Amino acid sequence: MNLGFTIGVLGVLILAHAAYSTIQYRGLLKIVEEEFSGPPMNVVLELLLGLFLCLWAALSVPGKFVSIHPDSDDNRIVSLPDNLDFMIFNHRGRVLQPDNGMKLKC
Amino acid sequence: MAVGRDDKKVTDDLEIFSADNLQSNMKIIYYSRTFLSIISGVIAGILGLTGLTGFIFYFLVMAITSVGLIAKANFSIHAYFTSWNQIIVDGFLSGLMSFVLFWTFAYDIVHIF
Repeated sequence: MNLGFTIGVLGVLILAHAAYSTIQYRGLLKIVEEEFSGPPMNVVLELLLGLFLCLWAALSVPGKFVSIHPDSDDNRIVSLPDNLDFMIFNHRGRVLQPDNGMKLKC
Repeated sequence: MAVGRDDKKVTDDLEIFSADNLQSNMKIIYYSRTFLSIISGVIAGILGLTGLTGFIFYFLVMAITSVGLIAKANFSIHAYFTSWNQIIVDGFLSGLMSFVLFWTFAYDIVHIF
């Protein structure tokens, strides 16, 4: 996640640099007294690069998708509620063999 | 440690799914779309887009976001969501206000002042 965050900050910095370049370009156009039709080509390329980096950061920073199936590997059904008042252990289950296949979800 | 999971019976898609995982996935989509709405607003302002062209740019970036989210889910939507609408259509318009705000903000900074 830290790498994604760094890429996001880098993308925003590239966008800020592109904005500054465009401001300077407009200042130049005011001196030459031409119309503003679009930013110069290198600014457009810089904007595309910034957009791509921010896309990458926006997809990787918030976290991974978790599966919603109840029987997938990261959704173990065996999970302990943390209310001990109603748990008793003096029942018939103590004579059964322990099941070694059950995994605990922490 | 998690207390447990909620069961929810849905008659259209899945019988039982974990609702808080689904909600976590929807939150991830919401964060991604909001951030990219802001970024696309700034880019539209820098480019000097006005009028309908700017809104077309916003919808273009949202479409690219949808493709990116589908790629993030490894193209198997049904492991993470219950319907296609949740990943493609949901949240499409929620970033529109943020887009317009940052669009006018960036346009004013770059082109007017």
